[in-house]
Amino acid sequence: MASTTTVLRAEPIQLPRKFLAMLPGIGLLTIVGLGGKVLEKWIATYTKAHHLVVPNIEYVLWAILIGLLISNTIGVAEVFKPGISTYEFWLKTGIVLLGARFLLADVLKLGAVSLALVLIELILSIGFMTLLGRIFGLSPKLTSLLAVGSSICGVSAIIATKGAIEADDEDASFAIAAILALGALALFTFPPIGHWLGMSDRIYGLWAGTGVDNTAEAVAAGALYSDAAAKIAVLAKTTRNAMIGFVVLGYALYWAAREGRQAVGNKAAFLWQKFPKFVLGFLLISLLASLSIFNKDQVNNLANLSKWAFLLTFAGVGLRINFKEMKKQGLRPFIVGALGEVVIAAITLGLVLGASKLVKL
Amino acid sequence: MANQVTQEPKRSLSLDGWAVGIALLLAALVKLGALKHVGW
Repeated sequence: MASTTTVLRAEPIQLPRKFLAMLPGIGLLTIVGLGGKVLEKWIATYTKAHHLVVPNIEYVLWAILIGLLISNTIGVAEVFKPGISTYEFWLKTGIVLLGARFLLADVLKLGAVSLALVLIELILSIGFMTLLGRIFGLSPKLTSLLAVGSSICGVSAIIATKGAIEADDEDASFAIAAILALGALALFTFPPIGHWLGMSDRIYGLWAGTGVDNTAEAVAAGALYSDAAAKIAVLAKTTRNAMIGFVVLGYALYWAAREGRQAVGNKAAFLWQKFPKFVLGFLLISLLASLSIFNKDQVNNLANLSKWAFLLTFAGVGLRINFKEMKKQGLRPFIVGALGEVVIAAITLGLVLGASKLVKL
Repeated sequence: MANQVTQEPKRSLSLDGWAVGIALLLAALVKLGALKHVGW
């Protein structure tokens, strides 16, 4: 009789080495983020001293622009890349900390409105992107990836779906490039449209959270409008992210049936595996704040810590966008993505404005 | 009797796990007063 013993392979030196490799990039994120903050203050002081009337450009946009400038001129050296990729860690940490600014009742109310909007948006955007992919003759798997990326949460959803539907690397990088380029575009279009339409912080935040694909860009698009809008954008986007498991599971089942592969075994385990766990952290901190575990000063401290985490995220958003690399991916997925995004932005705008008439937001 | 030994990579904490862990640690430090006056 054969017995099997499983031993854990210890990797004692991995963590410190990985951490050390991240330090240069984290340093660069800090410098770029602080650069944005200093530039905003300096321009405000200069224009005030010289009695100039110039619209205030927030640190968020400066940090992104400095990052974009570095990435697309001198480029980002390899040594910085591991640290720059931590932007997603800072984003999630910032979102969890921001939970302190929400009372659970508010989360449930706005979350319910967001959930209803997200469900409608999901159905419409998946349907529309699938149709566009067919019209433009994109491969069915690339179409699936673009549909998931634009309906749920950009890059993480594409990566999760890529594994589940066994799409190839090329399709995934096409879809990621299109979603990132369009996310960058949203940063420059959503805030002016919001101001033009005279949207309130809450309505605009809801629109940014449901309309902008990638979480970092959705938070940045909210922060470019106001702090209050960023807060609501985070909540709406977090609700959207929570749906990732269901959509990825749906696609996994569809592609398994289409290709005659074995479908997903344990669906509950699959959903739990794909569920973004940071949402639970956000709810936990929100629950603690609702139970008055933190006093007013402590809530302010947590909100400021969240802003510092977001500052590093915004620097990372700019630093990872490389237009030359995106150009290499070809124009067709980008056109499909762009057309889809414009329609999805219009649909979500209509949904949010409609909801604001039905429910007091 | 053959005794087969297989190696399984050690489970590491996910990105979400790290983010939630660090955020909770910061929240605890704020609550305990170790992190006061966080400016912006």
